[in-house]
Amino acid sequence: MEHHGGVNKTPIISLDHVSKTYLSVHKTNEVVRDVSLDVQENEFVVLFGPGQCGKTTLINLIAGLQLPTSGEVKVDGKTVTAPGPDRGVVYQTTALFPFCTVMGNVEFGPKSRGVPKKQRRERAQYFIDLVGLQGFEKSFPNRLSGGMRQRVGIARAYANDPKVMLMDEPFGHLDAQTRYMMEEELEKIWQKEKRTVVFVTNNSEEAVYLADRIIILTNTPTRIKHEIKVDLPRPRVYSDPAFLEIRRQIEEICDDTL
Amino acid sequence: MKKKRFDPEKTIYAVVAIACFFVLWWFLTTFTPVKNTTPDPIAVLKLLFESFYTPIGSKVITGHLLVSLRRVLVGFGVATVLGIILGIAMGTSKWASAIFKPIFELLRPIPPIAWISLVILFFGIGETSKYILCGIGAFTNVTLNAYTGAQNVDPELVGCARMLGTSERDIFFRVVLPSCTPQIFAGMQVALSTSWMAVLAAEMVGAQEGCGWMIQRGSDTLNITLVMVGMIVIGLVGMLLATLMRAIERRLCSWNIMEG
Repeated sequence: MEHHGGVNKTPIISLDHVSKTYLSVHKTNEVVRDVSLDVQENEFVVLFGPGQCGKTTLINLIAGLQLPTSGEVKVDGKTVTAPGPDRGVVYQTTALFPFCTVMGNVEFGPKSRGVPKKQRRERAQYFIDLVGLQGFEKSFPNRLSGGMRQRVGIARAYANDPKVMLMDEPFGHLDAQTRYMMEEELEKIWQKEKRTVVFVTNNSEEAVYLADRIIILTNTPTRIKHEIKVDLPRPRVYSDPAFLEIRRQIEEICDDTL
Repeated sequence: MKKKRFDPEKTIYAVVAIACFFVLWWFLTTFTPVKNTTPDPIAVLKLLFESFYTPIGSKVITGHLLVSLRRVLVGFGVATVLGIILGIAMGTSKWASAIFKPIFELLRPIPPIAWISLVILFFGIGETSKYILCGIGAFTNVTLNAYTGAQNVDPELVGCARMLGTSERDIFFRVVLPSCTPQIFAGMQVALSTSWMAVLAAEMVGAQEGCGWMIQRGSDTLNITLVMVGMIVIGLVGMLLATLMRAIERRLCSWNIMEG
């Protein structure tokens, strides 16, 4: 059921010696240095790194919102050169369209791609139900709580049927309690609707709870420091000794990074 | 979700405030030297009601009102459409901003009244001049607000729409335009009152009908009551138009209104 970077499979996301340097008149700012990473189909990969490292830049490179200075990013065998609907993004800020209702947000992608109304409504409704927002279809985002907004963000990304999902610290702005709830919720949604996910976080507990594989990044310029496979059965228990052991490993690796 | 439409407390305050205003007016024009120059409210209201069936000049008061209203709405409407187009163009394209912004900044501080002579010189004293003068006032306000609105569109939303596979044309109509709508409405509110100001000024110079002409006529014949009738009518209609605009705004921008 889970694919842990099998050797015989072609990866759905592949970063090949990717570097990103910002150039300005007075200085160059190297953000990502020589990152190579393969992600298999339906794998849940967590990029874990300290606060200001280039995690978001990595997500933007896969999304095509930025282009690498050198190296190549491929999604489903095609080189990424621009944003596109084969990659769904869930933003930390949610980036919901404030002038669209919950339904309007979730069906935004399919509508853009010309999916007939009846079909896209059904599809949007399915994902609205899946994230537990039935009854809020006609609400505008400013009437929703932070957790509910992020549910809309997840439903919107799913409804557009992307090949891969990119999640940039989606629960970063939420309070601790809502965060636990959303982690459980995301786990359930993902079990039901498996997708390839690249998830960014700086919270080791969140990383171990969700990941098939955790990629530990260094400070800028970001490189891959270490990789940990998490084989614990799902849904995981935060207080399980094996769970805590992996968290301890992560923290140990990160300590000598800084 | 349900909003309270009718607030009895507020309504009572409003009625009391307006009543106080009229009582004060009546007091000043009955017991103080002001009475030598200014008509009392009863005389003004009497003339107001009379003017519904006794023509002033060529038309009864509703006729004058409709003439002014048409001038305002035509000028304001055309200017709003053009202003939105230019404003959003300047806000989204560096080229449009580089070309039109300096000209616009130069013309913006010139009030519509300053244009009167030039517009009459080019377009005569017909309806066209009136439309143009109303339009000038509205145009600058709408353009400026649409420009600010377009500049402040959240780039993350545009990026998000691109990620979802939205075409550039759709991004304009489904992200940029709705993002600017509250700002555009703020501009339209100001523009509407500027248009009224402009139409009155225009009608005071070379017109045979309209609210501005009525006031000018009153002034020329030392009929202060008529001047005040004109003022009251303008106040009432202006208030009605602003309320109407707010109602439309509430419908279109309900997403932007916070609870409470």
